[in-house]
Amino acid sequence: MTPGAQRTAGLVLGGLALALAGLAPLIFTDFFISVILTKALWLGVAAASLVFLSAYGGMVSLAQVGIYGIAGMTYANLVAADGGSPAAWTPWVAVVAAILVATAVGLGFGAIAARSVGIYFLMITLAFSILVYYFFSQVTQLSGFGGVNNLDLPGLVGDPVQDPAPLYYTTLAVAVLVFLVLRYIARTPFGLSLQGLRDEPARMRALGFDVTLHRILAFTLAATIAAIAGVLSVWYNRRISPGSISLAQTIDVLIIAVIGGLYRLEGAFVGALAFALLDNYSREWTPDVGEILGPARFNTIIGVIFLLIVLASPGGLVGLWNDIWDRLRRRAGPTTGQVKGQPLRGEG
Amino acid sequence: MRGRAMNARRLLAMGATLALAAAGCGGDDDGGGGETQEGGGGGTIKVGFLSDCEGAFGSFFEPTISGAHLALIRHAGAQPAGEKPSDGISNAKVAGKNIEIVGYGCADDTADKAIEETRRLMEQEDADILVGPLSGDEGIAVANYAKEHPDKTFINGIAGAQDSTLKVQAPNFFRYHPDGAQWSAGLGDYAYNELGWKKAAIIGDDYSFPYTSLAGFVGEFCAIGGQVTKRVWAPLGEKDYSSFISQLPDDVDGLYVGIGGSGLINFVKQYQQQKGRVDTERMMGNVFWDDPLVLKEVGKSLVGGTTSAMTAADSDEAAVQSYMADLEKAYGKEIGGTGPSVFTYGYYTAMTALVKGLEAVNGDIADQKQLQAELAKVTLTGDEAPWGDVKLDERHQAISDVYLKQIVKDANGDGVPDVKTIRRIPDVEQTFGGFFTPESPAPDRSNPKCESGTPPPWVGKSEEVSFGG
Repeated sequence: MTPGAQRTAGLVLGGLALALAGLAPLIFTDFFISVILTKALWLGVAAASLVFLSAYGGMVSLAQVGIYGIAGMTYANLVAADGGSPAAWTPWVAVVAAILVATAVGLGFGAIAARSVGIYFLMITLAFSILVYYFFSQVTQLSGFGGVNNLDLPGLVGDPVQDPAPLYYTTLAVAVLVFLVLRYIARTPFGLSLQGLRDEPARMRALGFDVTLHRILAFTLAATIAAIAGVLSVWYNRRISPGSISLAQTIDVLIIAVIGGLYRLEGAFVGALAFALLDNYSREWTPDVGEILGPARFNTIIGVIFLLIVLASPGGLVGLWNDIWDRLRRRAGPTTGQVKGQPLRGEG
Repeated sequence: MRGRAMNARRLLAMGATLALAAAGCGGDDDGGGGETQEGGGGGTIKVGFLSDCEGAFGSFFEPTISGAHLALIRHAGAQPAGEKPSDGISNAKVAGKNIEIVGYGCADDTADKAIEETRRLMEQEDADILVGPLSGDEGIAVANYAKEHPDKTFINGIAGAQDSTLKVQAPNFFRYHPDGAQWSAGLGDYAYNELGWKKAAIIGDDYSFPYTSLAGFVGEFCAIGGQVTKRVWAPLGEKDYSSFISQLPDDVDGLYVGIGGSGLINFVKQYQQQKGRVDTERMMGNVFWDDPLVLKEVGKSLVGGTTSAMTAADSDEAAVQSYMADLEKAYGKEIGGTGPSVFTYGYYTAMTALVKGLEAVNGDIADQKQLQAELAKVTLTGDEAPWGDVKLDERHQAISDVYLKQIVKDANGDGVPDVKTIRRIPDVEQTFGGFFTPESPAPDRSNPKCESGTPPPWVGKSEEVSFGG
């Protein structure tokens, strides 16, 4: 029972999931493709930007929703739309502009936030997301409470209402690309030093690494990923309002990362799928229990399920995977002295 | 070792595939079933219901359902399926077809959630017709969604933003109640000509409904010659209004309050703490002020204030009395008490209009264009609209009466202040005599501008009303 076996199994499972994802429009209804799978994919990209920061940089950031909000709002104000100050640009130019603007803001904000750690980092990033929310709520020229509606989409994704498949495949391709790029970066010297200063910032500094600069760069990279999620989200919704980037959404993205597993990139997508399924179907599944429970109280059920996941597996759903293999290994007999799979130190 | 690893691998892979396949099949079945139903016409008309069970208006969830159900109980022979409105409804039938409510959508006053829930109801539950939503921005978003889905029909619940009919103009979206601006009709006239206000300030929630609601006041008050010197906007559902209250100027004759939902209760409590008392003699409030749920919480502080809307709790007309009695019979005293709430009543007229529309096409919705054509012609009278006839204009927006009311001390001994109706403003229409047009800027933080001009047609024409002598 070698770690190699687990690796192969992981690859097989990943391959199967990808094959299934590729064939999904042939198997599932339009509704499922759109509201569950497409949504899970863009939420997964947003969560991946958080998981990347958390797993490799040790930074649990609540700013990702703020950043994707900036990208979404920028896109919404640059293409033809109802509300805001639509500039009616070509959608693709708007996409590039949106990602650049959000990345630039991420860089600036990273320069401030990257100097703090732990709970202070959490608070300052939370403040950033709230700031973005109120900014767009109050600047009616850009959004206002009602947001921007009926956004123009690039021809590539067509009309998602008539046929959700093009948007789904686009989102899928982007999600896979984001996953591969982040995985690759984690293994470059930059990624390795990032993990080094996650674990031992003092030693890394002594070795001559510029800790703050690395953290700023990681934050900026995550901002780019979040910006991509922001563009995908407005393609999916065809609208954006401050409600789309409120505190509730910030918490949702954190929940997705936690239930999926904050320590592995796969967790972002597993978590997003679980979240999309629960958020949608719990509204019907929730049983009637007198005055206490009913379909209108589906949030209670979601909360309980999330609690159970986190209690049963601190590493989230992906952590369960490691636990199963650990158990199999133990049952297979004494190990050859290798260290038990430690999700906290996951190397991607 | 190797063999076991293989087994485990295979097991896991199989398990995962099965789980995913099962999830997919569930979705597939839903869709498949729906499609056949749609194609064949079927014996069931599927209605999706959309309201808010979270957010600032979460407390109106059951009242809104009770209104929609009451319409089915009175006009489609239905019975409540349980004590609570959300328990469902059974045996609703129109022209021999069953009416099934396929889901009670729960949004949270944001447009995003409303659209998610609309999609769930229309695409997953395969509803033919949607009744809802509740709140302003939700209404604009749903009207836009309606535009993209011309083969389905949408009847607004009680969302009052002006844009959803005046600007969006979806051919398959209908609103059988006045919008937020219409509800404010008569208040500007009353403030200027009766109370002698020359300068006023306004405060409201920072979103489309209060923009619309306050636009109604500003449009009328300024047209006659009044001035609005300050507009203060607070985020919807705000908990701490102190900084907003301190922005209110003292050198004005009156204040128009457009804060709604749970925010109004906080606002009134904090206003009292900060200023000593709520000086209602120089205050007006929008549709929320005399809502039964609000009166119960902070009504005592609001005694003396003036408000307006399409309902009048003290009406002694027979149609109103029987509407109230039927609601109480179906759902008991507490829900029954919300009868005069615009939330209950708006959903009641919406569902009633739908029943009438379905009767007109004999329950045949294979081509919803016909249903939509009939809905545009529906007029509600008598028991169908106990607070006054409702007809639609060419943009599918209601034209109906609005009542001016005062909140007065409790006289019937239930400990909750009463509502006394003082005026009826007849036939209020959406454009205020051409002041609001599809081209005029949408009501927002600074629009409409305060300018004197042609007053709306009802200024000076309101009729004195005194119910119950």
